[in-house]
This record gives sequence, C-alpha cells and structure tokens, in this order.
Amino acid sequence: MTPEAWLLLAAGVLLLLVVWTGWTLTRLRRLAARVDRAWAALDAQLQRRAGLAEELARHHPAALGDDVRSRLASGAAGARAARDTGDRELAENALGHELRELPPDLPGVPAALRTDLAGTQTRVALARRFYNDAVRDTRELRGRRASRWAGLHRRRPLPRYFDIDDRLGDDDRLGDDDRLGDDDRLGDVGAGADVAGRLAS
Amino acid sequence: MRIGLVCPYRWDVPGGVQYHVRDLAGTLRGMGHHVEVLTPAQHEESVTDPWLTFAGRTVPVPYNGSMASLQFGPVSAARVRRWLRDGRFDVVHVHEPATPSVSLLVCMIATGPIVATFHAATTRSKWLAAVGPMARPWLEKISGRIAVSDFARRVQVEHLGGDAVILPNGVHVPFFADGPALPGLGRGRGGPPTIGFVGRFDEPRKGLPVLLEAMRSVVREHPGTRLLIAGRGDAEQLWSMVGAELRPHVTLLGEVSEADKAALLRSVDVYCAPNLLGESFGVILIEAMAAGAPVVASDLDAFVRVLDDGAAGVVVRRDDPAALGQALSDLLADPGRRAELAARGSRAAARYDWQVLARRILAVYETVLPPGGGVVTAAPEHDFPGVPPTGTAAGPPRIRRPRR
Repeated sequence: MTPEAWLLLAAGVLLLLVVWTGWTLTRLRRLAARVDRAWAALDAQLQRRAGLAEELARHHPAALGDDVRSRLASGAAGARAARDTGDRELAENALGHELRELPPDLPGVPAALRTDLAGTQTRVALARRFYNDAVRDTRELRGRRASRWAGLHRRRPLPRYFDIDDRLGDDDRLGDDDRLGDDDRLGDVGAGADVAGRLAS
Repeated sequence: MRIGLVCPYRWDVPGGVQYHVRDLAGTLRGMGHHVEVLTPAQHEESVTDPWLTFAGRTVPVPYNGSMASLQFGPVSAARVRRWLRDGRFDVVHVHEPATPSVSLLVCMIATGPIVATFHAATTRSKWLAAVGPMARPWLEKISGRIAVSDFARRVQVEHLGGDAVILPNGVHVPFFADGPALPGLGRGRGGPPTIGFVGRFDEPRKGLPVLLEAMRSVVREHPGTRLLIAGRGDAEQLWSMVGAELRPHVTLLGEVSEADKAALLRSVDVYCAPNLLGESFGVILIEAMAAGAPVVASDLDAFVRVLDDGAAGVVVRRDDPAALGQALSDLLADPGRRAELAARGSRAAARYDWQVLARRILAVYETVLPPGGGVVTAAPEHDFPGVPPTGTAAGPPRIRRPRR
C-alpha cells in the first residue's frame, strides 16, 4: 500500500477511537448522574424511615413497650449516626430488623403514621433496587477491557452496591416473586403511596 | 404529576401491551394525574383521543410469535422530540423498550427520569439476543425498570443485564365482575354448558387446536356443550380445523368489543386457556377470574402463578388434548367445584385490580423523581440553526457538565 493509504487508514482508525471514546464518556457521564440520582433517592427514603422510627419511639412508647421502644430508638439513632461515619448497611439492617419485628397492630398509633412507615419501607426497597441497578450498569461499562485500557473515569471511585435486607415482613413482599399475597400486604403499599402523594403535594 | 406513557405497538391493533398502557393511563387519570400517550398506529385517524399522540406508522416484524412494530427514522424522531418538549413530563414511562420501536427512540432522545416496563417473557428470542446489546447504551438511561412477571424479569436479567421490580399486569376488576351476560346465555340458567376461548385463534401458540381436539371428548360426555370463540383470525381456516362433527358445538363470535368480551366471560361456565408457549402473563385468566368464570389453563409457568399455583383454577399439561378434555368434562359435571373455583378466582383477581397496581407504579415514579423535581425534555438537537444567534450570546454554546 502507498503511504497515503496507510495515512488514510490510520486516520480512520483514530477517528473511530475518538468517536468510541466520546460515546463511552457520554455513557459513563450519564450513568454517573443516574447513580447520583438513585443514591439521593435511596438516601432520602432511608432518612425518612429513620425519622419515622424515631417519631414512633418518641411519641408512642405505650404502643411499643419499653424494651421495643429503646431498641427502636437506638436503631434509628444508629442509622442516623452511620450516615456520616460507620457501616451504614449494618446500621440500616439493624433498624430494618427492628421495624420488621414490630407487632402488626400498633394500638394507639395513628393510621397515618403506620401507612407512612409501610410506604416508606416499600420505597426503600424500590430505591435500593434502582440504585443497585444503576451501580451494576456502571460497573459493567467501567469493567470492560476497552474502558479499562483507555482509563476512562479511572480516577472516579467505582460505585458500591448497597445491600441491606429490606424485606417488609416474613416474606419478600415486593421482590422476586410476582405472586401477590394476602390483601393487606398490597394495602400497605397502596396506602403508603397515598400518604406520600399527600406529603408531596 | 405529569406522566408520559409510550406504547411501542400499534394502538388500533388489539394486544396486551396496548391494553396495559390504555388501562394504566385511564387509571392514573382517574387519580387526578395528567397522562399523555405516544403511540404508533395503523391508521392515523384511529388515534382520536386528545391525550393520544400519533407517533407514525410502523413496519411489522415477527417477534416472539407475534408481530412487533419496527419504527425508526427522522420523522418519528421529530415527533418524539415534539411530544417530549410539549408534554413537559415529570416522568416518562416507556413500554417494551428493548425492541427497535418508538419506545427505544424515546429512550434515546429523552433526558430525565425514565421508567420502563418489560413485558416479553420469551427466552428464545433471536431479536432480543441480537438487538438487546445494541440497545444497551440507551437502556442505561432508564432509572426504574419494571417487569410484569418473574419471567419478564428473567429476560431482562439474562439478555439486557439489569434488574427489575415486578409489578404485574392489571385488570379493571369491576368492569369484568359486574354487568350483563351475553343474550340467551348465562351461568346457572340450566342451559347447555358453555366453554369460552378468547384470543387470536389462528396463532398456533394460543393452542386452539388442542382445545378443539379435547372438545371431541367433552361433547361425548356432555352432548350439548358449546364452545364460544372470540378473537381475530381467519374464519375459513378455523372451520376447516373444527370439522363437520364438531361444527354444531362451536360458535365463532369473531372480534368482539371489550364489553362483549366481559359479557362472554360472565356467561361461560368454564374458561379455557390451552396456550402452548410464549405467554408472559395471562391477563385473560385474571379477567376470566374477575368475571367469575372457573378457569382451566395449560401449565405455562405464568398461568400457574396467576392461578395461585393451581389453587384458583385447574391446571393441565400443555399440548395434551386428553388431559384437557378430562379436566373440562370433570369440571362441567361438578357445579360445586365450579362455584368454589369461581370464588377463589375472584379473590385472586382482586389483587390485580388497576387501582391497586397504579398506586404501586406511582410509588416507582416517585422513587425515580429527583428530589428537587424536574422535567423530562428532549436532548439538544445536533444540528445548527440556519442563522447565527444574535446579541450577547453569540459565542460558542457552553456545554454544562455537572461537577461532582
């Protein structure tokens, strides 16, 4: 081949590389924004859950009993503290466990608070799934050989999965199973959506 | 909330996804939300409602045993862009975005919170295997993924590499539960027993040949039995399949309206779904259960789930006319069992009411909304205006990049 042909070929390859890099950077930027958005949503729901647990422990000690009340309060405080330092997954798991262990009918607790709590728990599960989904997509693209060799977004930390046990009861109400169980289960979710709608408006 | 729904299939052709979008839109509107739908159609004239926007015509391609709508091109893209700009939606909800359709186009063009629902449950789709990875860069923009069933979610996980929340298809339960029966028919009138079948009867995967074969044994035990068939398809072909001896027992209603379908389901003594493969969900079973019809269905995974592992209906081996005929005959002979199944079916169907499911979908929308709010827009168009902008802003456009 003549030198011109070589030059042309090299230019073509270079152009392809530039286009690919630009496109991959666009994807990575979009994914980073999506991870941030998903994290903000998850963080908001987790904080809301801790806040509701605190409210429950503070204002309705009679419904819970001393033992449960103090454990719930410390769980909520732990979750709040772990937001800045410490193992957040562990703290949120502890709080989630306390909330799951609550008796199903809390006497004297206003229905609004109960449905709000149930709705928030549902949303924690949703937000966590969407966050992990975003993390998975990002890690997949970042982990490709070409992306690694090109060093795209090398200096950014790889986003971490957030794994907590966010089941809503004895079984997974929201998750891997599309069979819907007894009616009040769905009632929780629906009522929660109502409350959140009211709060949002 | 301002919600934009995108239906990838032709609006004026009946189909599960279209009904899903229509019912979801109606339910959300009933809850006081602003909902608009972007959809292709066979004829532009059939897109009449003010909340519908015509996205163009489509090229049908075979997909998962049915026809999918292929749609691309600058005209469609311009329509999508205009719809997104005019709609100023808080969230855009696309359906089945893995097919090269208007849904994927919306994923490409929109910026902002996108929710997607995946319907297909096939695991052997060459289309998906080929197109899935190519669509990936745009599917990455979806913030919240919903699958209508476990199987749809599995497709999502295996072919498209993502997780999804499972929210099943919905049914307007009251629409099917309350209303008149078909004229001259009706459960408990003491007339000849009736069996119902609804679906595109010339599609082999719907399994009508199996049911017809089973009918031969059913009419031996219950001579007056009538099979009512509603749905689209080639009538000539059907009658040749039915044959002379079975012909008096079969009534073809053809394509019926939704109201007539509900009336049919309220009329029949047994509803039969002999499908062979490819059903992602089985909305028709829920509709039948909501209408109080005892259900006999083949053992597709999706059907078994909808029927509460066989507690709310009779499940028979697929593609087994003898077993199906036996199950139908037994059920027709036992009114007590029919009543029991109908009661269980009604309870099972109540969980799939749109009122319940729309709230759950709203929870998904709320989760993907950015805390400060914001609207979905079309990404900037990559062409230059004919005239250079005047005034102070004549410099090159600055690209805003969020700093983190």
